[in-house]
Amino acid sequence: MTTPCGSVAASTTEKTALLVASGADIDELLTNVLASEGWSTQRVLDNQHILELARAKPFDLIITGRETRVAEDVELLRKIRSARPHIRLIILTDKFTPGDVISAMREGAFSYFSAPFEPSELAEMVRAAMAEPCWDDGIEVLSGTPEWVTLTARCDLATADRLVQFLHGVRDPSIPEAEKDQIILAFKEILLNAMEHGGHFDPSQHVEISFIRARRAIACRVKDPGKGFSLEELRHAAGSSPDDLFTHAKVRDEQGMRPGGFGILLAKKLVDELIYNEKGNEVVLVKYLPAPKSPTT
Amino acid sequence: MGLQISTRESGDVTIIDLRGRATLGDDSDLLIGHLNKLVATGVLKLLLNLADVTQLDSSGISAIVGTHVCLRRQAGSLKLLCPRGRVRAVLRLIRLPEIIPTFEDETEALASFRPRGFSAAS
Repeated sequence: MTTPCGSVAASTTEKTALLVASGADIDELLTNVLASEGWSTQRVLDNQHILELARAKPFDLIITGRETRVAEDVELLRKIRSARPHIRLIILTDKFTPGDVISAMREGAFSYFSAPFEPSELAEMVRAAMAEPCWDDGIEVLSGTPEWVTLTARCDLATADRLVQFLHGVRDPSIPEAEKDQIILAFKEILLNAMEHGGHFDPSQHVEISFIRARRAIACRVKDPGKGFSLEELRHAAGSSPDDLFTHAKVRDEQGMRPGGFGILLAKKLVDELIYNEKGNEVVLVKYLPAPKSPTT
Repeated sequence: MGLQISTRESGDVTIIDLRGRATLGDDSDLLIGHLNKLVATGVLKLLLNLADVTQLDSSGISAIVGTHVCLRRQAGSLKLLCPRGRVRAVLRLIRLPEIIPTFEDETEALASFRPRGFSAAS
């Protein structure tokens, strides 16, 4: 699991980010976001300059340029982390392969954005990186092939957001974007349920996750560290009464719970199958993919 | 962007303009707190402008449904305005617009709060 986070750059008073140019729009966005929190920025031309500077002194955040291949960025990260294990590095890239996300997570990238991406989502992730007083990974890849990835994720919201962004970064032309969005949203709902109800958002707890890519389907398995529950007994979740959106709201109100309980309902609508184990602490989501188009003759 | 909330009024309708993410955590807590506060102060007609909401999850949906239930109990009403992209897709998926009136045009939405037969000129 993860090690306690260090304070390599946390001791410095002024925060500094090291950036590689990524085009005028992205450069301006990043400068504005960083400046709004009083951070200074240092710009360099390429990864080689990043490595030299990062070895010479600690930086609080590094953001790579879009022009380099992910494999180069990951190699850069590996070299920097050998000297500065808690460095926060965000990969931006126009040059990627479907398996690059696994390498980035395995090597401990803070986040990963493959083009095209929403600038507002990049800005949000930079703010998240800036907000962390100190940082260690929270995501550990236990095994990874392009077809099957198993990892653990720490039970906190920031880790969930980071993991979801890694999934958005997967660009596999054989997975239609609409289906990808649906399974990511369903996965996020189930992940947050697992972290909240199974792990009580306790950062010492971890959720175990597997992603399996078959030819005509994607499956996600989420196992939480809790004791489980019975869907039949869970009257405060809308998934137990999908035809009545409001029944559970009354039940939750009676039980003094905060508004909520739509996660299972939403996930059920977004994927084709949602299967719980007997204990109720492990769930599998399955999304079937449309048949690939036959090549024209 | 974290959720930003601003409030304005048009007659007896309170319009809440949301900007950013309405998702689990500080954002949905902020939204729930804001909506609860308005309802507690006696607001009965609420129009929630979702045009600039970039993400909505079950937590944001819960805030909307909870407010709708609460206002109905007091003979008030909640209506939604201009959900876009993924937000609109999520709302349609759970068929919320079939229960909570949803509009594309603000003028039309405001008019819907007036009693039937009411004319501004009368």
